[in-house]
Amino acid sequence: VLVIRRRAGESLLIGDDVEVVILETGSSQVKLGIRAPKEITVLRKEIHLTRQQNRVASSEVSAAAMNRLLDTLR
Amino acid sequence: LLSGSPVEQILTRQFGALEFEAAAVLEFPAGLPGFEDQTRFVLVEQPATAPVVFLQSLLSPELCFLAAPMVAVDPGYDLAVTPEDLRLIELDDQRQPRPGDEVVCLALLSAAEDGPLTANLLAPVVVNVRTRRAIQAVRVDSRYSHVHPLATRGASCS
Repeated sequence: VLVIRRRAGESLLIGDDVEVVILETGSSQVKLGIRAPKEITVLRKEIHLTRQQNRVASSEVSAAAMNRLLDTLR
Repeated sequence: LLSGSPVEQILTRQFGALEFEAAAVLEFPAGLPGFEDQTRFVLVEQPATAPVVFLQSLLSPELCFLAAPMVAVDPGYDLAVTPEDLRLIELDDQRQPRPGDEVVCLALLSAAEDGPLTANLLAPVVVNVRTRRAIQAVRVDSRYSHVHPLATRGASCS
């Protein structure tokens, strides 16, 4: 993992087209601004994980799997 | 189901012909992550599969999620919906809503044939009981997993 120290108002580039600006820093949060071409999706990682998991969750569930589920929840 | 509102019908993969009342429809203004165009669902409860409930899309007959009340998955679950998400489902954005009273809180379940049984505790489905507006509220912290394992009861724990 590349580690870079930056202060509020400074920025970094990812490739030629993506710029991440440090807007504000606090004790437990930083506020970032991201400038990127339209075709690049910028998402919180939690949303990305939930997207992927929703695709898994939307697949058909067999009777056997349903029984295993009920075993765990009843 | 509430009485007095018009009854509609949809042909679903999971249930065949499914009748539902217009007043029972859940509106997801933002869809669900990965399914952003799916904005209308109904919850189907069947005694045979309780406490598991089915979140059936009304726009895609083949799309149906399994869910369970959060209290059945993690009784101590600490709800943390962002102010933006609270506004989207027409709730006070200054405080967390009360489960049971103001909102129904569900966890989406995964039970793929070749995978583990898991619940998404990172992103609970939260339904405004009064307006039936709903959202899959993805947390901004990392306290809960999107693949929380569901352990078989009675299994020995050592």
